[in-house]
Amino acid sequence: MRDDDILTGSLLDESWLTLEQIASACTVEPQWLARHIDEGLFPHTECVAGTWRITALHLRRARRMREIERVFDAEPELAALFADLLEEMDDLHARLRRAGLE
Amino acid sequence: MEFKDYYQTLGVARDATVQDIKKAFRKLARKYHPDVSKEPDAQARMQELNEAYAVLSDTEKRAAYDQLGRGHRPGEEFRPPPDWDAGYEFSGRGFSPSEEAAYSDFFSELFGHTGGARGRYHTGGAEFRARGEDHHAKVLLELEDAFEGATRQISLRVPRLDPQGHVVVDTRTLNVRIPTGVHEGQIIRLAGQGSPGIGGGPTGDLLLEVHFRPHPRFRPDGRDLHLTLPVTPWEAALGTVIPVVLPSGSVKVRIPENAQSGRQLRVRGKGIPGSPAGDLLLEIQVVLPSADDPKARKLYEQMAREIPFDPRRNERA
Repeated sequence: MRDDDILTGSLLDESWLTLEQIASACTVEPQWLARHIDEGLFPHTECVAGTWRITALHLRRARRMREIERVFDAEPELAALFADLLEEMDDLHARLRRAGLE
Repeated sequence: MEFKDYYQTLGVARDATVQDIKKAFRKLARKYHPDVSKEPDAQARMQELNEAYAVLSDTEKRAAYDQLGRGHRPGEEFRPPPDWDAGYEFSGRGFSPSEEAAYSDFFSELFGHTGGARGRYHTGGAEFRARGEDHHAKVLLELEDAFEGATRQISLRVPRLDPQGHVVVDTRTLNVRIPTGVHEGQIIRLAGQGSPGIGGGPTGDLLLEVHFRPHPRFRPDGRDLHLTLPVTPWEAALGTVIPVVLPSGSVKVRIPENAQSGRQLRVRGKGIPGSPAGDLLLEIQVVLPSADDPKARKLYEQMAREIPFDPRRNERA
């Protein structure tokens, strides 16, 4: 395997991306993402001069919220509450795994 | 190609109203939501439900499907006649190649190229310009890869539209350098490795979600590593220094005197490397020697006689 055959990536939570790139990564429309960020439904997003930094958690949150809004015609705030609860559940599962119980 | 009975998938009658269809879809979507469902095939069922609902909730697609599917049974071999969709105008939302790839061949054959994907992704207008789609994939790594970095060969199934607007799936193999310090759930972004842009738009990215294979000793949590450390009663009581082998190298850990089972020791910076590096979290587990050995039994009996110790003292108070 030659060195130039090998792709080197950057870690998402260490990259600064445009809103369009982030929306594409989250598989949502840029307008949808911008509206939800403005409404404070994506905590802990960092923006400097029009570029953003997000983590894998934001990606999962966006997909979950988009799905809940689509399937149940849910208000964005309700979808965000649902995402909060799922994240709480993820956290509890992670604690069980750390304790070797799952 | 097998015929799919979307009415059966949603459990509704063929003359169900739009409201009935929506209600049935939501009820099943709740049951099979992959985040909460205990059903083993929840993900696959949810995809089937989405596909059925995408057709039956759209008036034009439903009308065409009804006309086409008359007299067919689910699972029956099926081939749509040429120009079956003549006379129908599909104005609903299009589907991206990745959405379509999740749907069945039946769906792609019928609706993959109708007013959807081709309309949205192959618009011929000179000004139409769009960024290519990002691709998402999971990559399964060994925990050791996070310490030393690695180069992994990854095979991806990549959906694309052929000139007729049908979805075809190609296999693409990439050699990817995994950077040191990655942790569970983190995303590695390979810029420009997604779908090509349209009308000169930029190419999408490839996003790899990192997962570790279960490790026999360590349990990762972000960059922290959890490890259960078995110790003897005398090591726990008297304190000692124990060498602990890590995924990369080893470290000597001081066990303080009077350490109890369940106590956690944190060794800073000895987890997965990074800025900052994670910690190593050791959970002490005191393991007793068996009393089957006569010498061990004698020592236990001597301790019972000579050490005034009652671990249930507080329960009796």
